[in-house]
Amino acid sequence: MSVIAPKFKLSEFIKSLLDNAFWAVLILSLIGIPAVMTVLFFIEMPVINGELLTPFLALTWIADPSRILPIVHAFMATDIFRVMVFPGFGFAALLAAGTIFVERKMLAKLQLRVGPFYCGKVEGILQLMGDGLKLISKEIIIPAKADKPIFWAAPVLFVAAAAAFVALIPVAPGWVVADVDLGLLGVFAVIGFFPIITILSAWSANSKFPFIGGIRALFQMVSFEIPLILSLLGVVMLTGSLNLSEIAASQSNFPWIVFLPIGAIVFFITMLAELERIPFDLPEAESEIVAGWLTELSGMMYGLVQLGTYLKLYAFAALFVVLFLGGWNGPMVVPPFPAEILTEGIVLGPITANIPGLPLFTQEMLNGTLWFVLKTVAVIFFILLPRGVFPRIRVDMLLNLGWTKLIGLAFVNIFIALGLLYAGVLGPGGLQ
Amino acid sequence: MQCSIKYFTTITFSDTDRKKEAYLFIQKLGSKAKLVGELAGNYSTVVLMFGFAIVAMAPALIISRMISPRKRSNPVKFLPMECGQVPSGEGRTHFMMQYYPYILMFVVFDVMAIFLYAWGSSLLEIPKVATLPMMGFLGIMFGAMAFALYQSGRRRIW
Repeated sequence: MSVIAPKFKLSEFIKSLLDNAFWAVLILSLIGIPAVMTVLFFIEMPVINGELLTPFLALTWIADPSRILPIVHAFMATDIFRVMVFPGFGFAALLAAGTIFVERKMLAKLQLRVGPFYCGKVEGILQLMGDGLKLISKEIIIPAKADKPIFWAAPVLFVAAAAAFVALIPVAPGWVVADVDLGLLGVFAVIGFFPIITILSAWSANSKFPFIGGIRALFQMVSFEIPLILSLLGVVMLTGSLNLSEIAASQSNFPWIVFLPIGAIVFFITMLAELERIPFDLPEAESEIVAGWLTELSGMMYGLVQLGTYLKLYAFAALFVVLFLGGWNGPMVVPPFPAEILTEGIVLGPITANIPGLPLFTQEMLNGTLWFVLKTVAVIFFILLPRGVFPRIRVDMLLNLGWTKLIGLAFVNIFIALGLLYAGVLGPGGLQ
Repeated sequence: MQCSIKYFTTITFSDTDRKKEAYLFIQKLGSKAKLVGELAGNYSTVVLMFGFAIVAMAPALIISRMISPRKRSNPVKFLPMECGQVPSGEGRTHFMMQYYPYILMFVVFDVMAIFLYAWGSSLLEIPKVATLPMMGFLGIMFGAMAFALYQSGRRRIW
């Protein structure tokens, strides 16, 4: 058994911490702050609330943190915030991390196990962090004769493609990273990247099991991409738009799953296949081909592929919500921001704090996000559930299912949509 | 734009009316090109997100490479995984493409599915008669698909 530090002494550890803190403070105050101030005097500063931002003004934030709020507001309107934090990477990664933990606990309950239990004392809540630290501190072994540049790039590209998928999902009215006219076609384009990355990674490993897994991933994509595309055509016909925000906004009265249940079911099944989840986990079938196309990935490369997989899971669940369950639409349950805080400030005994920048988010946005997250979590639950219930299916069953049954059902869905439109039930002059 | 107008006036056109026509035509072209550029510009945030994920996630691999132990190198360690056996043969072998016809079918019918989107997204604006040729197109594609599925079911010819 190996120990990280065999001669560990708490007193020396604390002394080293204090030493490091001392040097950090010394270097920051002697070099860091003068350097920052010197640089700030030469940069063109923005005008915030009719006041030119100067380094002196910036220093007053230490005394009154509420003065940062206008800057936070200005930052929240930028693309960078959307990409990094809210409808983009941070939000999706948070939901993905939650999904991993919930999946492990839920599968354990289904199979009468306990699941993660010790890490973090409370029901193993820190297990994910522990796994991350374990993966990042493990050695990355690359097989000999592998195509090294492609092999290194594939996990990063997998995460990046999943992030590009997340970018197209509208979370609340106006809160979407890329509000594009052909959003749905963009989604299809991004989905097409995943099998390419899979097969590149599988081919570059120069090993047999990844290669077989990559070929299986290709077949799975081939047989399920067409039903996936066709099952969403009904929604586009009824909405008359390919913009995902418009599709979500068009369901303010009722979600499309009410009229197109067959399309929703076909899309859900193809979604499971595109996500390579049981019963369609042939590309990484652990009882047949070790770990499929993930066999040669070790350490943090495997961790990145897992992150990408769960980002993709979130994005697919969110796409289902946007297309069939009405996206952010739902009754207003979030209370309005208390008006007396805006007029009188927060009163805490003798102190009254006037914070001019509040509220940070509007009521509609919070309500939309709440409903969106609730629906997405429900869909993620139904994506996770088959893993504890179903066995894996064979390749020929998979191809048969995709090519005959699902495509047929997708066309039935299209004709239902066409009938609803031409009978005048929906569309102009109809219910909506 | 200025340059191209000068080109038109000096070489091709001398008549003022035709000059005006050419100017309007070029202006139309110019406005269209601008719209195309704006359309492409909308997608830049998708590329930004793609790039951000690369910039944010590549350090994870670099940090891992820096802090993880890399000791006790031996040739067996870097062999490809074959369940403990010494690997035999090539990694990238010729794979038996038993289901090759499905890939051929995918190339055809994926394009068909995207063509249907061009029709489906403009269905509310076009007259109802325009659906008839679409149904004819679908009929042809159904026939082709049935034939292709029948042929791909005959495993012995593949």
